[in-house]
Amino acid sequence: MIPTHWFLILSAILFALGVCGVLTRKNGITIFMCIELMVNAVNLTFVAYARQFHQIHGLLFVFFVMAIAAAEAAVGLAIFISLFHHRHTIDVDEANLMRW
Amino acid sequence: MITFAIFFFFAAIAVIFAAVVVLHRNPVVGALSLVASFFALAVMYVLLEAPFLAALQVIVYAGAIMVLFLFVIMLLNLQHQEEPRTRPVQQFLGYTTSAAFGLALIYYLAKFGVTKLPEGPFVSDARTVGIRMFEAYIFPFEMVSILLLAAIVGALILSGRTGAIPPPTGENKL
Amino acid sequence: MHGIDWVDVGLSGLKIAIVLGAMLNVTPIMVWVERRGSALIQDRPGPNRVGPFGLFQSFADALKFVLKEDMLPAKANKVLYTIAPMFGLIPALTTIAVVPWGRPFLLPGGRLFEPIIANVNIGILLIFALASMGVYGIVMAGWASANKYSLFGGIRASAQMISYELSLTLAAVSALMVAGSLSLTDVVWRQTGSFVLFNTIKLPAWNICSPAMWMSFIVFFVSAFAETNRLPFDFAEADAELVAGYHTEYSSMKFALFFMSEYMAMATMSALITTLFLGGWDVPWYNEPPTAFGFAVSVLAFLVKVSIILFIFVWVRWTIPRLKYDLLMKLGWKVFLPMAVGNVVLVAWFIAKRWI
Repeated sequence: MIPTHWFLILSAILFALGVCGVLTRKNGITIFMCIELMVNAVNLTFVAYARQFHQIHGLLFVFFVMAIAAAEAAVGLAIFISLFHHRHTIDVDEANLMRW
Repeated sequence: MITFAIFFFFAAIAVIFAAVVVLHRNPVVGALSLVASFFALAVMYVLLEAPFLAALQVIVYAGAIMVLFLFVIMLLNLQHQEEPRTRPVQQFLGYTTSAAFGLALIYYLAKFGVTKLPEGPFVSDARTVGIRMFEAYIFPFEMVSILLLAAIVGALILSGRTGAIPPPTGENKL
Repeated sequence: MHGIDWVDVGLSGLKIAIVLGAMLNVTPIMVWVERRGSALIQDRPGPNRVGPFGLFQSFADALKFVLKEDMLPAKANKVLYTIAPMFGLIPALTTIAVVPWGRPFLLPGGRLFEPIIANVNIGILLIFALASMGVYGIVMAGWASANKYSLFGGIRASAQMISYELSLTLAAVSALMVAGSLSLTDVVWRQTGSFVLFNTIKLPAWNICSPAMWMSFIVFFVSAFAETNRLPFDFAEADAELVAGYHTEYSSMKFALFFMSEYMAMATMSALITTLFLGGWDVPWYNEPPTAFGFAVSVLAFLVKVSIILFIFVWVRWTIPRLKYDLLMKLGWKVFLPMAVGNVVLVAWFIAKRWI
């Protein structure tokens, strides 16, 4: 039986990699992918704890998180597409019209 | 014994391909590595006695969301755009912050790890999930469906072309 | 962990060998059926030089594929160009693992031999999951070829496949609702036996014999064509418009892999159609005993049904013209998806009224 905290450590590593990507990269699509990576790390945590306590609520929460992440990906990519059409660049630093 | 081998192999795959996503320049390579990472995570779900969720992970994440990402990258022809270099101070701060955060998490998780599992099997098949979804979680279920409808409408409106589209130039060498 | 049950491992190895052998042999047989069948429909002889009735044509084709020059376009992404055909092959070879192809029977030692490689709880979800992976082969092939036509073909093919995956899944759900389980063995067991109509006609209890399933059978059948990129939905590899679509730049063995994966996906879809709607390995009006004889008869019935569906695939290809791309997408989203959802509601009503 694989101890639960091994799964949690894997989830922590993936989450830290996602954070690193969001903080370091400038490509909007890559930042989105790192956000999805973070969401998946959290999903893994939920499922690990669901097995730890033999509760099915963890799995149901992952179900909802997956649905919401799908919606978020669709809307986020649509925003990115319209941003690209106006600025013709993928650098997120260029989206600075609201900077004070 | 063999479960440990499977766990380490697929955990290594997940971490390595996630690192490729974070570090590689080309977004298409990043998207495909993320697909591999999601597949490895689906295997993790199988090891956690949730095969239904593993299949859902592959169908929803690796099979639909990442295809959407790939479409957007290819249709906007983003693989030819050069991503400008991040400023060194941002890179340094980003790496050190995330490394410190990750190491702190790992330390505390390893320190307070629990190894005892409750007795009995973990019933996590589609039937149980479905019954619980339609009894206790029926309200979030309906709300998520409305949210998905809102997301569809929003995506349609946001990606509607309202600005001027540049005519195709000769630089798009495929 | 206790000792490994070597008999179990050996039986699994035997099952894998049988199914793998069958899947790898589908391509040569289907090539012959396709070429002679198309010749029959088009009123011409077809290949009849190589061996009697042209039966060895597939060997000649295989030899040609092996001996051709294996090119790599200069601007192609080498890694993705090479692994794209493998992604096409993976769903074709792995999804057949959860399809039951015979009746479980008792071996002499009292052990039950279940002719299904992986009898998991979530049977059909595995098929849908791995079929979604097939989209990546096409997308990668189209993109990595560094060719405009391949890219367009790849994007169109993947958009078509993910649109029709929805109606495929929902049409299968109606058959699964009746069985009450995701496992395909339960779906087939539910279709054994018979029910009596008007106290006289005894119909086999196949899913296609109940009127609630007719719409979903049509939706599943047509979506299977769209999933495997067969005419009338093969706009992605349209011979006249897009040169050869996403596999334009592929030659010799890599093209042969795409070719093989298309036929194997066809065979898997036919196996799925027979399992979900035509009763799988069930012989109509006959109660197969759990012996080797019953097993052999059920395997024969399964093969006959799969062959009939495969012939219909070939027949439709050479009869119906190709669908225009926007009509194809409209059909998938505006006609088949509502039909499939409506059928789920219909089957739910039938189950509630205990008519099914």
